[in-house]
Amino acid sequence: MFRPSRPPDPDQDLVTRAQEGDTRAFDALILKYGNKLHGLVYNMTSHHEDTHDLLQEIFAKAYQSLRKFRGNSTFYTWIYQIAVNQTLNFLKKRKRRRGLSLTELDQTLQKDPALIDSTNEANPERQSRLNELQKSLNAAMMKLSDSHRMVVTMYDIQGISHGEIAGMLKVSEGTVRSRLHYAHIQLQAALQDSWDERF
Amino acid sequence: MKPSVEQLGNLLALKREIRPEEAYWQDFLCEFHQRQREQAVKKSGLSGMIGSVVQWFSEMGPSKWAYGAGLAYAAVTIGYFLSPPSPPAAQSPTTPVHRVVEPTQPVQQLQRLDLSPTTEGETGEQVF
Repeated sequence: MFRPSRPPDPDQDLVTRAQEGDTRAFDALILKYGNKLHGLVYNMTSHHEDTHDLLQEIFAKAYQSLRKFRGNSTFYTWIYQIAVNQTLNFLKKRKRRRGLSLTELDQTLQKDPALIDSTNEANPERQSRLNELQKSLNAAMMKLSDSHRMVVTMYDIQGISHGEIAGMLKVSEGTVRSRLHYAHIQLQAALQDSWDERF
Repeated sequence: MKPSVEQLGNLLALKREIRPEEAYWQDFLCEFHQRQREQAVKKSGLSGMIGSVVQWFSEMGPSKWAYGAGLAYAAVTIGYFLSPPSPPAAQSPTTPVHRVVEPTQPVQQLQRLDLSPTTEGETGEQVF
């Protein structure tokens, strides 16, 4: 039976070299996907130190399991899936360990340079409102369940398609859409007070 | 007033730009290599092997309970077949067990003596 061929993995060469023990090849993979995975983990944990530790664990796990990687998916999909699973497990443990309150989470998020719009630098009042909005958004994100926050992070922040999210989370595409719909309603409601039409 | 889904999406998309500085990844790689070296040293010892088994077991997910139960069952079964048969339980376990030790018969000891003619002699005589 004819099967449509999948495009080759752009990381095939680096992966093969890393599987043969070339640590520099694995370093190159870390540098290539580090920012993307950092975005996933940081938006899920909202904590810089937890993000750092978790990323170390994710890459360590990927390195140890690299020999088992058979290329059934791209390396990026494979490591992203590891990151998703490790992050969800970590969040479960963190909840058990401590009843995490929003005040314990990173307060630096609202000060991140990326959230300071350069066009607003000359307009402190607008920037202040935008910061307030981001603060409300972060608080609302952390109030979502892990599974809802995960789909928002993957779809809205990381720009991954519904189908890919469904594949990575091992749920149907309908479930992804339904979770997104519910999460959007929650976030819209949370931003109701701080939203300004001029944004 | 609340934002539309599109406006919400735009606001969330701003978060795409949140990323650590370049220098962060160099430090990250140094720490990663350090951790890998420590891990390799740990794994070479016995405790590392035990740790690996424990980690393997903990990563198995819910199926570990089935495997655990199976292993426990197998251990009990093997233990049952390998253990020596227990003596008939005529006495209660609290009663001290009295073992009767048969005294060695003097006759048997005599039979073991060498009574060959070279050692035999007439009464009052010694044969050398």
